[in-house]
Amino acid sequence: MSEGMLILGAWIAAALTLFLFSFLYKDNPFFKVAEHLFIGAGMGWYFQTIFYKIMIPKIWEPLNSGDPFKMFMVIIPAILGLSLMTQFIPKISWISRYGFTFLMGYSAGMAIPVGLATDFMNQILGTIEPFSAFFSLTPWQMFNALTIAIGTICVLFYFFFSVEHKGAGKKVSNIGIYFLMIYFGASFGNTVMARFSLLYGRFDTLVNYSSAKYFYASAWIVVGLTLYFLAEKIFMSAKREISQ
Amino acid sequence: MKETIQKLLKIDRRYLFLLLTLSILIPILKPLGLPNKSISKDVQNVYNFIDSLPEGSTIICSLDYDPSTAPELHPQATAIVKHAFKKNIKIMVLTFIPGSTGLIDQLFEKLPAEYGKKYGEDYVILPYMANIVAVITQMNSNLYSIYEKDKDNTDLKSLPMMKKITNYKDIKGVVNITGTAILDFWVAYVGDKFGVPVMGGVTAISQVGYGPYLQKGQLKGLIGGMKGAAEYETLIKEPGKGTSGIDALNVAHLLVLALIIMSNLVMFFFK
Repeated sequence: MSEGMLILGAWIAAALTLFLFSFLYKDNPFFKVAEHLFIGAGMGWYFQTIFYKIMIPKIWEPLNSGDPFKMFMVIIPAILGLSLMTQFIPKISWISRYGFTFLMGYSAGMAIPVGLATDFMNQILGTIEPFSAFFSLTPWQMFNALTIAIGTICVLFYFFFSVEHKGAGKKVSNIGIYFLMIYFGASFGNTVMARFSLLYGRFDTLVNYSSAKYFYASAWIVVGLTLYFLAEKIFMSAKREISQ
Repeated sequence: MKETIQKLLKIDRRYLFLLLTLSILIPILKPLGLPNKSISKDVQNVYNFIDSLPEGSTIICSLDYDPSTAPELHPQATAIVKHAFKKNIKIMVLTFIPGSTGLIDQLFEKLPAEYGKKYGEDYVILPYMANIVAVITQMNSNLYSIYEKDKDNTDLKSLPMMKKITNYKDIKGVVNITGTAILDFWVAYVGDKFGVPVMGGVTAISQVGYGPYLQKGQLKGLIGGMKGAAEYETLIKEPGKGTSGIDALNVAHLLVLALIIMSNLVMFFFK
């Protein structure tokens, strides 16, 4: 990439980031522009990637290869895929059911057995397994095994609504709530860390783009935005005074 | 006093945004050099696994993240690739997210040259592919029935690195770096089903949810968020963006802790 394009890219990236951040102060036209550009550019990128990496090599090229086997292998899935598009034409939208039926059958067939094994059976096994050799575990491993087992049972009981939660049942259900709260707390803590990491990433880029190499792109855009908000504030207060 | 405190509780939240901005910006402008001393067991496990692989082994790096999660995940991917290159491990890169193709190009733009690695011999980049479940299950019987060409339309079989690779039997492990649920598919359809060791690199948000897979050993290791990236960089002794971000994260976390404690104390004493 040429140096000029790099600098232009830096200016556009810095401007769009700062335009989006400007919403934290208040809604403004720059934010709207950046928001719409983001959606448009994102869709454009996705479309061209799918078109050139999937549509052309996986559908168009086999159909034009002249090889009957390759054509046959593609034509049925392609027709099923195209049938989904009939959703947009109400009169013939029933055709899309064939595509959806295939999708439903395929997805259920792929997901159910594997999901049961990975997320259900294996997790039950993981909870029970340590108890098969409980006394050979270290005290810390024993504590872990018990915590996981008690936590699993109590949380499952909390979501079991066919028995009224009172007496001992209420206590078990309450312990389940504490386990859930610890999970939510851990999740929230990690969410905060993740958001800060993303913010750090953008700020790091902005600081980089504020260097002389990029003609102080970030700094100039911050100055420009600040001037805009000041001017808008002065204009609006003047307008208010006139109307009064 | 009470009135002042109550005013403080109703403070315009934009001042908090400003404080947060400063808490992240100042450490970038003037690094504090706070150390990253703790290495979690899950990150250590990923490191140990890759470190113990014999030279010339091949791993799959499924890099499934786009710019929205790149600050957390790009340093993780960089650290993994650096480690693999250092250990002379071959890498097969693939992706199921259209938005990650540009980031993959960026990652492999300079790194291979720094480690003297050649495209086609030491690493190969496969094109974006839709429908992950179909692709990763089909790859167990024949990789080339899905990927005939690499990302630049070169015949995949013609690349020297690919001569000995047909399916998962020729792959020593999978590292999936993602901000989506794609890691779940790798665990279920490749790890559990075909016995290929699967490791992950995820955003801090999703890290907690992978506890059950780690506990059961379905995931051999996990790198979580920017902190995980910093830990991996420490292990391979190559400080990068993860390590430099720790300063900012620490200061921002301290600010949040201070605000939470202060608000709770105020609510407790003055409500």
